[in-house]
Amino acid sequence: MKLWLGYLRRTPLVAFLLLYTVVTGGPFLWVAAMSLRTTPEILDNPYALPIPAHWDNFIDAWTTSRYGVYFLNSLIVVVSAVLLVTLIGAMAAHCLSRYRFRANRLARMIILSGMILPPQLMILSLFQILLQFGLYNTLAGLSIAYVATQLAMTVYILEGFFAQLPQDLFDAARMDGYSDFEIFWRITLPIGLPAVFTTVVLNFIILWNEFLYAIVLITEDDKRTLPLGIMHFMGSHQLDVGMIATGLMISMSPIIVLYALFSETLIKGMTAGAVR
Amino acid sequence: MSASSGEGSRGASRTAIATFLAPALVVYAGFTLYPVLRTFYNSVHLFKERTQEFVGLRNFLDILTQDPVFWKAVGNTATFTIVGTIADVLGGLLLALCLFVGPPLSRPMRVIWFTPVLMSYVVVGIIWVWLYDYDWGLINVILRWLGLGAFEQSWLGDPRTALWAVLVTHLWKWLGFNMIVCLAALHALPGEVLGAAELDNCGWFAKLVYVIIPMLRPTLINLLVLSFIGKMMLFDLVWIMTGGGPLWSTETVSTYVYKRAFDWNTFDLGYPSAIAVLWSVMIVLFVAVMTRLLRSRDRLEF
Amino acid sequence: MMKTRAKWHLATVVLAVGLASAARAEEVTLTVWSHEADEAAKVALREQAAKNLEKSHPGVHVKITWYEKDGLNTALRTALPAGQGPDVFYVEPDQVEYITNGYIIPLDSLINWNNIYDWARQVWTHDGKTYALPEEAYTNELYYNRQLLAKLGAKLPDSAQFTQAEFLDIVKKARAADVTPIDQGVGDRPYPGAYIIGEALLRKLGLEDYGKLLNGKLSFEDPRVVEVFTWVKQLVDAGAYPKNFMTLKLGESHHYFYQKPGALMFPMGSFYTGRAFVPVEKGGQAPDFPIGIMQFPAMDKAACNECKTVAVGASFAINAASKHQDLAAAYLNELATPEMGKRWIETVYLQTAVKTGPTEFSGPYAGYFKELMERQKGAKYFTGMPVDILTGQCKDTFVQVMNKAFPGGLMSVDEAVKTMNQGCYKS
Repeated sequence: MKLWLGYLRRTPLVAFLLLYTVVTGGPFLWVAAMSLRTTPEILDNPYALPIPAHWDNFIDAWTTSRYGVYFLNSLIVVVSAVLLVTLIGAMAAHCLSRYRFRANRLARMIILSGMILPPQLMILSLFQILLQFGLYNTLAGLSIAYVATQLAMTVYILEGFFAQLPQDLFDAARMDGYSDFEIFWRITLPIGLPAVFTTVVLNFIILWNEFLYAIVLITEDDKRTLPLGIMHFMGSHQLDVGMIATGLMISMSPIIVLYALFSETLIKGMTAGAVR
Repeated sequence: MSASSGEGSRGASRTAIATFLAPALVVYAGFTLYPVLRTFYNSVHLFKERTQEFVGLRNFLDILTQDPVFWKAVGNTATFTIVGTIADVLGGLLLALCLFVGPPLSRPMRVIWFTPVLMSYVVVGIIWVWLYDYDWGLINVILRWLGLGAFEQSWLGDPRTALWAVLVTHLWKWLGFNMIVCLAALHALPGEVLGAAELDNCGWFAKLVYVIIPMLRPTLINLLVLSFIGKMMLFDLVWIMTGGGPLWSTETVSTYVYKRAFDWNTFDLGYPSAIAVLWSVMIVLFVAVMTRLLRSRDRLEF
Repeated sequence: MMKTRAKWHLATVVLAVGLASAARAEEVTLTVWSHEADEAAKVALREQAAKNLEKSHPGVHVKITWYEKDGLNTALRTALPAGQGPDVFYVEPDQVEYITNGYIIPLDSLINWNNIYDWARQVWTHDGKTYALPEEAYTNELYYNRQLLAKLGAKLPDSAQFTQAEFLDIVKKARAADVTPIDQGVGDRPYPGAYIIGEALLRKLGLEDYGKLLNGKLSFEDPRVVEVFTWVKQLVDAGAYPKNFMTLKLGESHHYFYQKPGALMFPMGSFYTGRAFVPVEKGGQAPDFPIGIMQFPAMDKAACNECKTVAVGASFAINAASKHQDLAAAYLNELATPEMGKRWIETVYLQTAVKTGPTEFSGPYAGYFKELMERQKGAKYFTGMPVDILTGQCKDTFVQVMNKAFPGGLMSVDEAVKTMNQGCYKS
């Protein structure tokens, strides 16, 4: 690891690292500070410290804007969507990357074509389909819509990774009499875990923050998801900067907490050594 | 039984293949196929008062020959994507290298550097609009504080700087992700190769270009493609930060599609669908060329 | 035999009656999609109308879902073509596409129109049929800070209207005193930047020619139009607008005017009150803020210096696919009663399209309202904001040029005039 310390002069590197840390972490701290202040205070002096700290901002936001409900809905929709898309995507990726069969190219093109058309247009037709399946304005419908939108990218990432796994493992497994499914479950998935982890993380982040489909496919307040909660404060009339910041903190908090708790696992998962 | 005889374990029974692919194809057939086909169908029609009139390729012709905004959007998106993708992946690699070297506190830094990735576009957009504000935005405030007040700009309000301002924000959000993936890939590199390069007494730049990048090729290509597609389709961030202004300097293809589908006072879906089709074709061509050039044969090697 | 058949008949009849009465006792839900969730007074008002409806129609439940504007439009435009959507929804006069595509029904026979001002009804009348109920009305006004004006040593004439030259002079004086002359921001809206130039055009051209200009029948290269553009350019060059004009948001521009840093003038629709007359912590103006209203400046050789713009804002329409059209109409009628109109004026502090009885303005804002009504005396009205009338590419060009780039100092008079013609003029 200390390969290049001799080559790179320390000071500029350290300075750069510090600078970049400030640049990435700073805005977050700033929003955190603003979330504890009132709007007039902020507009008076945007960069002051939150003294006094208005902790009741958070209570206000939680109660008046029904964050509890939105949070639960988001949790249900996103977790189920991520689980489904990972399973389905991994299965398809495994098949496409490790088996040779005539329709392989075609199947891959079909599935990946889902990545290139803009969601803003697709939603109009997707809406009609969900309607016909009776899934309009349901959490299940939103979840399935999310699976459909993320499938292509998931397959893309996983397929590329699975394709790099060495053939010998699979040959050995075959010779040991593993069935196709066992090969998938016991070889591809565990060894491909870094890639799987990556897609889980990416999908979770993207879907947790998704709001175009959420706005169109859910029309009852009881079923709304979290991103719509923030939009509440960005009403076209009031510009309650303080409350927006509070809202931002609340909506970011689950992700931040998860990340803080699991970042080591996460990064270990994503960086787990590939097979040599 | 299984058709695996002649090809080692590269073959599999029809049932196995079908079982693995079926769920994905079902999802696709059920929820993506119709929208895709429908978009193609819409692109050759003109919508008027609840009826659709088949107009063949007229929409496409109009777009290509009579729509200056479309070309502006294409130019903006292309610039944004090309510069952005290279900066994105290269930046991620460099950051990963900085951490790989093993400076102190690299673990907490890794965590912090990843946080922007976790934020939604709405959050990122709002924060950066505030940072770019002319009067009280941090950037101008710092410039003034450093005595460089002459450089202060209306970053998002000036057509010359707006697109680049949005690009910086986008990079800020995604560099962390590329960094982690590159870091993972670096950790996976066999130590001996790096050690050997050491012995050869190469400078670190040469090492970077001749050893590391080639070895990371599959990872880098994946990142390039993902970043490329993400930027070609970028909508949320631009919409929140500038809405395509000022003077169309940040108008991207997807914001233009959205505006024509939802903002222009008509329910005509033909025109925006045609734009979407055109654009997808361009993306596919580009990606195909890119992967053909870069991927070469070493897919299954390691 | 007969007995059995009779028994069958009896059973069927009983069943039918039973089912019918069950259906009558069934709950009906009327769905309403609305915007403006963050204006407490408007929310309260529309929910009150809902409660009134529920009282007069037992078994009916009104469910209002609140959206932000962007979300509302996206949701509607996705739902309506699929035959879905709420029974009643919020619309604005520029959304003619709902009419041309048959998504909303004519309301002529369903609403009590005696209670709505004719001119407001006209806004929604196309081909002789009225398609939505106008609720909110507003005029474009030029607000100013009395104290600052006095400090600059200027005095407003009795007509409350400066001349072109006087106005330019005031702008220069304000700039010299380090006060932003005209506060405005186009960060999140497609219209504020065009207030000054739009109102000037209206007064210079008069009702008919201004209408022609907006409908693409008058060239922007008409010398009168060019004169107006030139005058506005002078204002811009004299530093009339704030430095962050391009990115300042509407809500922020309010704060800029009456809190920090303060500005001399603030062109805004009279819905100004929705943000200004709330507690200071929520972004409102201080109770003792010296608010004044002046007329937009008079143009030289103008056709109509007493002209003003009036417009309809929030309105409600009935979904053509609704299964409860009568009930929906009943809800709309609840919004259109004189009591509701009175309540609107007194709690939202804004004009309305609904006729009310004599309203009593008491309380802290009485003075404001008196002055607002003063400014309406003798006015000739042009109905509609440019963004209500323009469509398609013309609207897009207007938003980018007259609203943003030209007042933002990014274009010369020539460029602006040519670009506007390109987008709008159908020679």
